[in-house]
Amino acid sequence: MLFFVLRRTAFAVVLLLLISAFTFWIFSALPADPAALTCGKNCRPEVIEANRARLGYDKPLVEQYAGYMKGIFAGRDYGDEASSVHCPAPSLGYSFDRHECVTTLVARTLPVTASLALGAFILWMVIGVGLGTVAALKRGRWPDRLATGFSVVGVSFPTFFIGLLAIMVFIIWTGLLPFPQYRGITEDPAKWFTSLILPWFVLAIVSAATYVRMTRNGMLEVMNEEFVRLGIAKGLSRRRLIVKYVMRAALVPIVTIAGLDFAFLLGGALVTESIFNLPGLGKLTLAAVVNSDLPILVATTLVAAVFIVVANAVVDVLYGYLDPRVRVK
Amino acid sequence: MRNLKRLSVAVIASAMLFGACGGGGGATSGEESGGRSAGFDGVKDGGTLYVLTSQEGVSTLDPQRVYTGAELGAWGSTFTRTLTTYKPVAGKDGTTLVPDMATDLGTASDDLKTWSFTMRDGILWEDGSEVTCGDIAYGVSRTFAAEVTAGEGPMYAVSYLDIPEGDSDFGSAYPGPWLADADQQALFDEAVSCDGKTITFKLKSPVADFNYTVGLLAFAPVPKAQDTADQYGLKPFSNGPFKVESYEEGSELVLVRNENWSKDSDEVREPRVDEIIWQFGLDEAVIDERMIADAGDDQNAIVYGGILPENLQTVFGDDNFKDRRTDGFDGFVSYTMFNVESVSCVEVRKAVWLALDREALRTAAGGPFTGEFAKSFVAPLLAADYAPAKLVDGLNEDGTPNVEAAKAMLEDAKTACPEVYAKATEDGLRFDHPDTDTWKKNIAIWIDSLGAAGIKIVDNPIEPSKYYATINGDRGDLMRAGWAADWANASTVIPELFGDGGGFNYHNNENDPAFADFQAKVDKAKAETDRAKQSSLWKELNQYVIDQVWSVPGSATKSQNLVGSNVRGGYQWLPFGWYNIGGIGLAG
Amino acid sequence: MSTENRGQPVLSVRDLHVSFGTQEGEVKAVQGVSFDVFQGETIGIVGESGSGKSVTANSIIRLNFGADVRISGQILFEGRDILQMSENEIREVRGKGVAMIFQDPLTALNPFYTVGDQIGEAYAVHHPGASKKELRAVALDSLEKVGIPEPRKRIDQYPHEFSGGMRQRIVIAIALVNQPKLLIADEPTTALDVTVQAQILELIADMQRENGSAVMLISHDLGVVAEITRRVMVMYAGRMVEAAAVEEVFARPTHPYTLGLLRSVKSLESSRHTQLEAISGTPPSLINLPSGCAFHPRCVFAKDLAGRCSVDTPSLHRVGSSMSACHLEEGQLLALKESDR
Repeated sequence: MLFFVLRRTAFAVVLLLLISAFTFWIFSALPADPAALTCGKNCRPEVIEANRARLGYDKPLVEQYAGYMKGIFAGRDYGDEASSVHCPAPSLGYSFDRHECVTTLVARTLPVTASLALGAFILWMVIGVGLGTVAALKRGRWPDRLATGFSVVGVSFPTFFIGLLAIMVFIIWTGLLPFPQYRGITEDPAKWFTSLILPWFVLAIVSAATYVRMTRNGMLEVMNEEFVRLGIAKGLSRRRLIVKYVMRAALVPIVTIAGLDFAFLLGGALVTESIFNLPGLGKLTLAAVVNSDLPILVATTLVAAVFIVVANAVVDVLYGYLDPRVRVK
Repeated sequence: MRNLKRLSVAVIASAMLFGACGGGGGATSGEESGGRSAGFDGVKDGGTLYVLTSQEGVSTLDPQRVYTGAELGAWGSTFTRTLTTYKPVAGKDGTTLVPDMATDLGTASDDLKTWSFTMRDGILWEDGSEVTCGDIAYGVSRTFAAEVTAGEGPMYAVSYLDIPEGDSDFGSAYPGPWLADADQQALFDEAVSCDGKTITFKLKSPVADFNYTVGLLAFAPVPKAQDTADQYGLKPFSNGPFKVESYEEGSELVLVRNENWSKDSDEVREPRVDEIIWQFGLDEAVIDERMIADAGDDQNAIVYGGILPENLQTVFGDDNFKDRRTDGFDGFVSYTMFNVESVSCVEVRKAVWLALDREALRTAAGGPFTGEFAKSFVAPLLAADYAPAKLVDGLNEDGTPNVEAAKAMLEDAKTACPEVYAKATEDGLRFDHPDTDTWKKNIAIWIDSLGAAGIKIVDNPIEPSKYYATINGDRGDLMRAGWAADWANASTVIPELFGDGGGFNYHNNENDPAFADFQAKVDKAKAETDRAKQSSLWKELNQYVIDQVWSVPGSATKSQNLVGSNVRGGYQWLPFGWYNIGGIGLAG
Repeated sequence: MSTENRGQPVLSVRDLHVSFGTQEGEVKAVQGVSFDVFQGETIGIVGESGSGKSVTANSIIRLNFGADVRISGQILFEGRDILQMSENEIREVRGKGVAMIFQDPLTALNPFYTVGDQIGEAYAVHHPGASKKELRAVALDSLEKVGIPEPRKRIDQYPHEFSGGMRQRIVIAIALVNQPKLLIADEPTTALDVTVQAQILELIADMQRENGSAVMLISHDLGVVAEITRRVMVMYAGRMVEAAAVEEVFARPTHPYTLGLLRSVKSLESSRHTQLEAISGTPPSLINLPSGCAFHPRCVFAKDLAGRCSVDTPSLHRVGSSMSACHLEEGQLLALKESDR
């Protein structure tokens, strides 16, 4: 087991190194010139070149990458010596566009995204698995139709549509909720909650749709399994049968996908964050794309990659725990 | 004024200060001043003013880096004072220069090369310490620090102050306060000196309206002890009626009242609200819906960014919005520059103008709400210096092309300048423009409408972020641009765009036969201290440029806005094309 | 056990009809099947897939999932009608009164629990007070009885760690842990290697002897059924077409379908050389059954009966010492068969 974990970790580290290098390369290959963007239209070419040097974009890519990596472990000074800004380790770079250490930006936006992701995740699992179970158990009858219909709606309408609709109905037309202005949970729990409740539901509805279908189909498939018939033949109660036999088996693939979905969400829920004005990782990334803010892009890509790599490892271990057939010995 | 850096890509393309712009079905555009919301009917002190915007943040709070009309006005009216400023009132009077930190509008030497200003008493920083002359000098010195302020703000300090040229990034011998050694610092201290409360600026050449120049925030004070270099824009030190309590890009900017500001030291500002909160990163469509619905706190809100085209009909087609909406010029004029050296034939330049389907271009941008066909390179907002010029003969008022006139003009060119004629009709004129979606549409209109008159256009799209850097070196025959005045004087338009050493002159017009005469008149206008006389000189010069067709004027662009029903004093402050935000009050 | 001292039947099926509603139409899976199973007896039900044998077996413990099933008739287990029982009552019967063994041991066990847990669970359902320790002891004992080597070690293993044969042993252990009155084995050896098949059949026989349970062995293979049963029922298209003692069926089949099945049996003497003779044609659609005798389109003797087979549905009646649902008279089938050759 220890060996498995070590091997997994080593693999993850190598993977992250590759992803970071790839990210670096991809973003530097984009046509937009981050140095040119630092100065406006009556900007002299010499200033652009000086800014390029200041931002470090004049150096060979390998050197830029090495410097970036070093910053993660040792911290780094950015800018000219006399007026430089120090970002302590782990430094993910400095955004000359936002004038802040990227680590600070990530640390500020990540809790927002995490709050959004966690709440939405719990909701969508409850809604998705709950409705899916009801649909499977009442197959062909109205609860099934309702749940299936819901899942079609959730899948068909884009997040921004459902999000805007929610804003219209709950904020603008009925005034049931104030317009969300995010506050940290420690700062103002009530505002935290009111700013997140709609996005939680919107994200949950959109994502739950898939889980309704997955749960329903998974359970129906499992119900046809011989071992379920054997369970009935044993004389097991319906509840025990559904929980220990049907759901237990149907949940294995769902848990796997849910783990990855959650990790993906932690990397930033771009659309939802934008519509509900949640200053999370997704919005940070989006703004960085618009501004060609390379350090932020590399950092958010890396952070998202870390989540996904970690989630993959966790899901692997969890999968082994959930399904004895793939358990490592 | 330079565009918002953030929006630079979109803005360069549309040459507009604010992101969204016109369109409009049945509603027609005409100027609207905001009705009740522009006045102070029922205003009370206190309350929180909200500013809703789809932008992720402001472009900067660092006074030496600000170069956006709206932000220059917003920060100037709230937390950072300057020696002079504009009178915060609606209408033409709003472009009147008034003393702010200075006791008067400054004293110039006879040769207009030395300007002195004396500071008022009792101007304090937010920590209660006094704003000194040295703080102003230090603030000005920051402009020189390319490694910190990155050339984002206006560069007048560098181009005007009497400091020798040198090898700093900005071509000055003085590299800014961080990198300067004692000798270099002495150069600056010589050009900007303090004697008690009097600050004296020594200039390279005469500048008649230098007292306007010091109204730019680039000439605002910064206390050296508080300067965090690149990060100063996150929490600038205040000496105005408001101070920055917190600023998080993507989230909020909170301005609260500065207890150490007193009315006694400030004859200009009249703060009314307790707090101004900017909310960033809102969805544009959501902002419009909220403003139209006008519920709760949104009644105390203004918008930074205009109204979406699809909502203009709703807002301007319904008189219920009469007291909450504004529609006016934003200070920008878009235009297309000729490379006068390569298109050295005024007949060809005129033919291009006559053949261009300006109406199709405006329709593609969104119709009449986006602006009016420009009749001057000076924006209508610059009331004193603006006069519609007499345009080329045969130009259609409605913006449609006059193919016949264009063809006739080309015939003239055939004999007058056969080489340029051949180039325009056979090789084609290379058109440089930023490679944006807007311009993909626009260039097709250019090619089609000019093609109808027999002029060939060679499309040369340039990656948007590299556009100005590219045309700085390699210029085509036609180039897209947009400009607004840096202060309420056409001295920041005509000389900048067309004059010798103009910061934004890409025309290669120095060798044009008409140039020497033009430049002589420009120099005369720059040195004219009688404002009225100067104004008529600018108007003459504008007509001169129009006659030479060094550039084809595009649109004097407009923007539309909607405020919450409690907002008072929400008039468009002409020099900045936006509200005097520090003076807005709330009713009810 | 001989037929003479049968005593009371454990199970009496009377006029059982089962049909499923589908989008294509009503599937008539079982039509009017009646039979008895007596205490300690082993009977076989033989037929092709779709003959209704598994549906009949599943009906006995109401193992028909889904809403669109229609069942009529009577299934009397120890005198009580299964079809009239409440959910709780039928649950009492399942596992304890009637246990089942399924065709595919690879899928019949819940992959998420250890075999010990699954045996224990089967016991616990009908012994609610049993302690964990007791359950483990029962499971261990069961594993030992069905011949799982090293039961102490293997009790904590998961199904996938066992071979197919071993898994079927575990399924048998689960079935027998409550000493049911009736054990239904639905194709218990079909999915297994030939060598293992015999062992499993032997195990079922041994267990039956030990427990005194009645056994209903369901198979498509008459040969398999013949190994351990005395009485055989042959089903075709949802009906019982022949019922007789095993030796009678082999010696004097009375239904052409039975004859076809016999020909496809791989008998020891001829297996090497004789080609397996399958019944020509395909099983009929259960939605649109052929008129008259459902077998007549495939029956080589139907022509000898001058069209009667496509009109009259033959009922199960005594023919010699067998019961048969064919219009042919006693001895007529064998005679025709000889003349065929």
